[in-house]
Amino acid sequence: MKKILLILSVICASAFAAQAKLNVVATLPDFGSIAKEIGGDKVEVTVLAKPTEDPHFVDARPSFVVQLRTADVLIDGGAELELGWLPPLLQNARNPKIEIGKPGRVQASQGIRLMNVPTNVTRAAGDVHALGNPHFMADPIIAKAVAQHIAQSYSAIDAANAAAYDANYKKLEATINAKLQEWGTALLPFKGQTIVAYHDSWPYFGHRFGLNIDIFLEPKPGIPPSPSHLVEVIAQMKAKNVKAIIVEPYHDRKIAEKAASATGAKVVDFSQFPGGLPGTETYVKLIDKLVASLAAALK
Amino acid sequence: MKKFIFVVLASGALAIDGAKGAEPAASPAAPSPAASAAEVEALRQQVQSLTELVQTLQKQVKEQQAASEKNNSNPPALPQNPEPETAAGPSPSPAASAPPLFPTTDNAVVTSAVNANGTLFPTTDASVTTVSSSETGSSLTQPITLTGGGNKNYMNISFDGLFALAASSERHLDRLEVGDHDPQQRGFNARNAEIAIDGAVDPYFEGFANIVLKLDNNNATQIELEEAFLQTTSLPYGLQVKGGQFFDAFGRINPTHPHTWEFADSPLVNGRLLGPDGLRGVGAQIAWTVPVPWYSQVIFAVQNGRGGTAYSFRNPGDGGLFYSRMTIDREASALRDLVFVPRVENSFNLSDTQTVLVGASGAFGSNDTGPNTHTQIYGADLLYKWKSPRAEGGFPFVKWQTEAMYRRFEAGRGLDDAFPVAETFRDWGMYSQVLWGFKKGWVAGVRGDYLHMAPSLFTDDDMRQTRSRISVNLTWYPTEFSKLRLQYNHDFLEENAFLASRDVDSVFFQFEFILGAHGAHKF
Repeated sequence: MKKILLILSVICASAFAAQAKLNVVATLPDFGSIAKEIGGDKVEVTVLAKPTEDPHFVDARPSFVVQLRTADVLIDGGAELELGWLPPLLQNARNPKIEIGKPGRVQASQGIRLMNVPTNVTRAAGDVHALGNPHFMADPIIAKAVAQHIAQSYSAIDAANAAAYDANYKKLEATINAKLQEWGTALLPFKGQTIVAYHDSWPYFGHRFGLNIDIFLEPKPGIPPSPSHLVEVIAQMKAKNVKAIIVEPYHDRKIAEKAASATGAKVVDFSQFPGGLPGTETYVKLIDKLVASLAAALK
Repeated sequence: MKKFIFVVLASGALAIDGAKGAEPAASPAAPSPAASAAEVEALRQQVQSLTELVQTLQKQVKEQQAASEKNNSNPPALPQNPEPETAAGPSPSPAASAPPLFPTTDNAVVTSAVNANGTLFPTTDASVTTVSSSETGSSLTQPITLTGGGNKNYMNISFDGLFALAASSERHLDRLEVGDHDPQQRGFNARNAEIAIDGAVDPYFEGFANIVLKLDNNNATQIELEEAFLQTTSLPYGLQVKGGQFFDAFGRINPTHPHTWEFADSPLVNGRLLGPDGLRGVGAQIAWTVPVPWYSQVIFAVQNGRGGTAYSFRNPGDGGLFYSRMTIDREASALRDLVFVPRVENSFNLSDTQTVLVGASGAFGSNDTGPNTHTQIYGADLLYKWKSPRAEGGFPFVKWQTEAMYRRFEAGRGLDDAFPVAETFRDWGMYSQVLWGFKKGWVAGVRGDYLHMAPSLFTDDDMRQTRSRISVNLTWYPTEFSKLRLQYNHDFLEENAFLASRDVDSVFFQFEFILGAHGAHKF
């Protein structure tokens, strides 16, 4: 009898150990990449949105409810980028561990000073985010802060592995600090140049590397490019000698190509998300790729 | 700053000591050896007052530091920022400590303290972050006030106006169309202007209300409390309880509001079996997400099931008639006079881009055509959706949705057994629709409808006509807050004992706008 109990308890313990990995859900692949780096083999990370799709409009697939239901940690942007699809998922998941206010909820924008906070929010201006531009992960310095938040959340829930999470954070921090020198140097010659983007996803990237990414193919955020607006953009591009147009995987590349051929600029494939472009599985690799392809286009 | 004050203080104290020691001997600082005691006393007082001043200043600085720490919820254990002055500045210019080629920190963008090292390119930037995060998880979890106060959010309110311009070869559109929010007359229709309110009630409940205003064919305003319920937000074990007036989770279309529909009118089977207003009422519902590896949910609702919004149940009918019977306005005498609505739904991902959702629903209760007559409705629904891995704004996509229903309706002889016979109607119907979002903002749709109503030799009620319909439409969503839709319907009205068969063509131009908080998209 005793033996059986012992065996049972061993089985239970081993089952428990097997499940001891933190179950982490990230709404977007950029948070997911950082979540993996910080968690290492101590966490299991699930990313909801695909890296190639528009993060504003992700289908609230029922399978996401299942993932959120069993999550120990949820990392979301907290800046209304996922407003169109996360709330009903959370409502159905009914998981108190990931409620706002619990250590299992990381709202990445916390502690970040968002750019372009509108003083007057009106939908006449298109799809404007009331809290400010939510595409903040394109700034590596902000990504470090988000990584620190994630490490703190992990440590609060899984104190036994706190040292590992902290070490992973320190490692990522050191990597990004070193990489920032590379990235900064690579883009330094182009400081002050103007770049056109399809959508206003890149103010943080521009701010970090001294580039003005402030002309957009979309006449207003979320509104598809119109021919008359394109004419205007082309004129501006010529006046400012713009050499690059940034498009993301889900944008209509043909429109960018049209503007490029009219001005001699190059179309550069960008992505906010690791995995959105080939060879960009991690956050650092993604920024590597963005910096390299942009520098090549601006040369 | 602190250090500086300490130095000043220490040197002040030393000076005093020195002065004391030097007093007996003639110090070079005092050229006149006959320095009077009064002069010394005056100097002492001066030093004393200076010391006091320094002490108060020090106190002030300490207070300020404490206050700023409080504001930032900044534990004292945090690494000190080397240049707090520049960090506090709102200017986004990177704080450069060493000859900076490129910053690696930016206090303007990140508020949590990150160590600054003497790298060429700054790795921190105080201008990008706003709050320091603490070692405990608590600071992560505080509500964010990103816009700087005034972020009150007690409730979301929105208004939705849905209008239709209709043309039809049938003069009486209100008899042709089966839904209460469908176009009811040739010309312009305003059948659904709704005010939706929702928000967190407290940490335990959230509330939702939907008030619909509509104009009848004589432009008189009608109002209905379509939904008003509260539901729990923090029950354990994946449970959720809802109470109030609400749409039943029967199939796909019934629980949704007209502005989310993909066609300008309701499917025949919904209008005729669940009712023109949908199946809804006052009651309570419990939902449970089943802990299995796929999405599975069980929902069970109980409602009064009385009146026009419980069409197939205790519904007194139009002018006291239902299926030509004089209805008995039955009071609930037993539990089975209420309506019970169970539902099970499961969802699977066929691939990264394809999702399937299947559901089965039921609705069971009594009806008003006799003292002891009952109704059972069974439903099955299927949804398939493909969405491009490179979707922009949710496009392109393909969505196929089908619902089928079967109803067993015991039609009694009505009040005082006045109707000649009692019969049991076995009615069924289904619709199937495909939506193709082919380009951002553009959706093309096709829908087929079929409704089989069991023949009755004793009634010519046009509600009991077997019929079918084919619809095609094209919708343009300039944004998710507005839409323009053109729809063509071809109705086949089959003959029965009293009605001749005929075809009807209709065209609807529907337009819609949404103001205010925009509810997230459910799958």
